[in-house]
Amino acid sequence: MLILSRKIEEEIRLGENITVKVLAIHNGQVKIGIEAPRDVRVIRGELYAGIQQANVEASHADRGVAVRAAAGLVKPGEKK
Amino acid sequence: MKFTNRQFGELEFEDDHVVMFPVGLIGFERHRKFLIVDDVDSEPFRWLVSLEDGDLSFPLLDPAILLPGYAVEAVTGGGKTVFVVASLRPDVNGSTVNLRSPLVIDNATRTARQVILDDEGLPLQFPLVPSAAAAAGR
Repeated sequence: MLILSRKIEEEIRLGENITVKVLAIHNGQVKIGIEAPRDVRVIRGELYAGIQQANVEASHADRGVAVRAAAGLVKPGEKK
Repeated sequence: MKFTNRQFGELEFEDDHVVMFPVGLIGFERHRKFLIVDDVDSEPFRWLVSLEDGDLSFPLLDPAILLPGYAVEAVTGGGKTVFVVASLRPDVNGSTVNLRSPLVIDNATRTARQVILDDEGLPLQFPLVPSAAAAAGR
């Protein structure tokens, strides 16, 4: 891991077109501004971990369990 | 072409059935090629089945079944199909769907992406069964 010290308003450049800027520091919280191309996904680490966990759980689905779960759901043609 | 999946056996498909995820799913970034499989027995679930790993499949739901109006907000522009991914537990009451990061498929190009919606109120684990949803305050 590369470790850098930055002050407020100072930036870090990642590659050609990503900029990370320290905007404010207050009570142990750092406010960070990120400029990145639209196709670069920028999300909080814990949200990424949560979605990853949900996907991993989903990938364990057993067809038999789905058949039982389906029995309690409205089928597409039946709604309303 | 043919591909064998552990749960669904041998699947026969054409090139234009393949759904491409150019950046994979979150946590499954290396899996790019999938099929959407309709399995009558587990309807209304549909399945996102990897064409690169015979053990990998995800149960999907049309979000309109659970939450009318949800899909409209999740999609910008037409020509897209939205699915939510379900986490199924042997006890159905513990089963959930991820409303925060649905899959959005472009029908014309058959490319897809797991998007992350800005609404922080959308749960990663929304109860699949209405009674469980009511108990959770929805």
